[in-house]
Amino acid sequence: MFDAPHSQVLRLIAAHAVNTPDKVALVSGSRRVTYAQLAANVEGAAAYLHAHGIQPGDHILLSAQKELEFVYLYLGAHLLGVVNVVVDAAAPRERLDYIVGIVKPVALFGTAVDATGYNFTPFNEVTFDNTALDSKVLPSLKHTDVADVMFTTGTTGVPKGVYLSHANIAGSASNTNGFIGTCAHDIEALALPLSHSFGLGRLRCVLTVGATLVLVGNFANLKVFFNVIAQEHVTGFGMVPAVWQYIKRLSGKRIGQFADQLRYIEIGSAALPVEDKRLLMELFPHTRICMHYGLTEASRAMFCEFHESADNLESIGHPASNLVEVCILDDQGEPVADGIDGEICVRGNMVVSSYFLDTDNDGSFFGDWFRTGDWGHRGTDGCYYLTGRKKELINVGGEKVSPVTIERAITSLGVADCACIAIPDPNGVLGEVPKAFLLKGGVEIDIDELKQKLSQLLPPHEIPVQWEWVDELPRTSSGKIQRLKLKK
Amino acid sequence: MEQRVKAIIARVLNVEIGAITDDLSSGDIPQWDSVGNLAIISTIEQELDIEFPLEDLFDLTSVRSLVDEVNQLMNV
Repeated sequence: MFDAPHSQVLRLIAAHAVNTPDKVALVSGSRRVTYAQLAANVEGAAAYLHAHGIQPGDHILLSAQKELEFVYLYLGAHLLGVVNVVVDAAAPRERLDYIVGIVKPVALFGTAVDATGYNFTPFNEVTFDNTALDSKVLPSLKHTDVADVMFTTGTTGVPKGVYLSHANIAGSASNTNGFIGTCAHDIEALALPLSHSFGLGRLRCVLTVGATLVLVGNFANLKVFFNVIAQEHVTGFGMVPAVWQYIKRLSGKRIGQFADQLRYIEIGSAALPVEDKRLLMELFPHTRICMHYGLTEASRAMFCEFHESADNLESIGHPASNLVEVCILDDQGEPVADGIDGEICVRGNMVVSSYFLDTDNDGSFFGDWFRTGDWGHRGTDGCYYLTGRKKELINVGGEKVSPVTIERAITSLGVADCACIAIPDPNGVLGEVPKAFLLKGGVEIDIDELKQKLSQLLPPHEIPVQWEWVDELPRTSSGKIQRLKLKK
Repeated sequence: MEQRVKAIIARVLNVEIGAITDDLSSGDIPQWDSVGNLAIISTIEQELDIEFPLEDLFDLTSVRSLVDEVNQLMNV
């Protein structure tokens, strides 16, 4: 069995492989992988990477859907000290180009919607049955070494690379399992994307605790998802609020049939209306319904369990564990009194210490306090409340969309200028959707034609759903668009 | 009507019409995720001026089921 002093995640998986070797760790369709097989495949993946000349400290790009081989390579890279850069297989080409351009990965694995010009090795061409990894090739690594680079969307419209150490990802898993209470007997269905912080975090939570994870494509086909819950005796799953709206719209209250078997549901990535929280409590009276507040940079910083917080469901909860601290600071980094709004700042075992690019670190920390960019306060009840978003990202069903990205695409089509803001989804499903204000005076273009052309430049969720032509856009004296003034 | 429904699905998902086979179901291709599925349902309702009964939505998971449902609602 491999030894991984730098990675608590790998040490725990190795321990399960020794103590419960025949326990199923992963299920994908008809394939079942035990902890013993998982550990062997992780070692095989590290041996494969080593045999292909990939060195500790090198970066590899993993373009993830929901493949078992992704899991092996992801963890195998950690064993060898190779840094994973995880991206969505459906990521727009511009984002892929940007990430590859600054990270310069030595190898790319998986698939991408548009991989033209890139040399991706498909997961099914990677072999994991190499002879055991010679422990002599394993370098001396520290838990503070970088495990993953995850890219988030920055306020400037350029993705920000976040350095996550082995300690960060282990800390987040430990905090989350401690709060939710996931244990080795649990069987979790994962329909969230593995390329996002939430889904990848669920993978680590389940495997570190020795439970079973059932990989499901996505939530689109609820019949498939419900069948998996029934047939695999699933006891927990994670979802974003947009998925809950989708489940509600397409299946009504049918999911309540699983109330007696579901021990926990984790929710996160966007706000959920209080009436939905109450409906979930009604449907799942004995289930721990845990909503997290967090960012890629400070994963699962706070939790609110609905039944425990029945009297203050508006709250985003309290720190996830005693290793996490939250503080409300003013613009100078000074603490403010309870009840007064300020910036929500976080420090703890899962909080990153830096970004990939030094320039992104500017203004992101007050000392060791990470600045979330979110506005809120601590109530007299000791819980934290989110009152607004300092940043102007548009949260489309959990996907954080930068208004700048949309504005650039629109002006590239000849519109004189524009500004995009978040508006509530008129259909009440996605939370927020983009609205575009277009400045008159440029190319005369029909909105339908604009939408058609934009569909070539942006993914569907980034295309504005409302449009308005205006004579001028509000700007600061230095020329910056004042998007908040467009919100009526 | 079958071709019209298939054309709407292809357009909404931004894929070739040839990819829209009878057996294709939500979740089978990355484009047909939950957001894509909602867009298919609302676009069909809007363009064909029909309304899917709420209790039927759970079962509308494939191209064939959508075509059959539209035919039934429009008495084709």
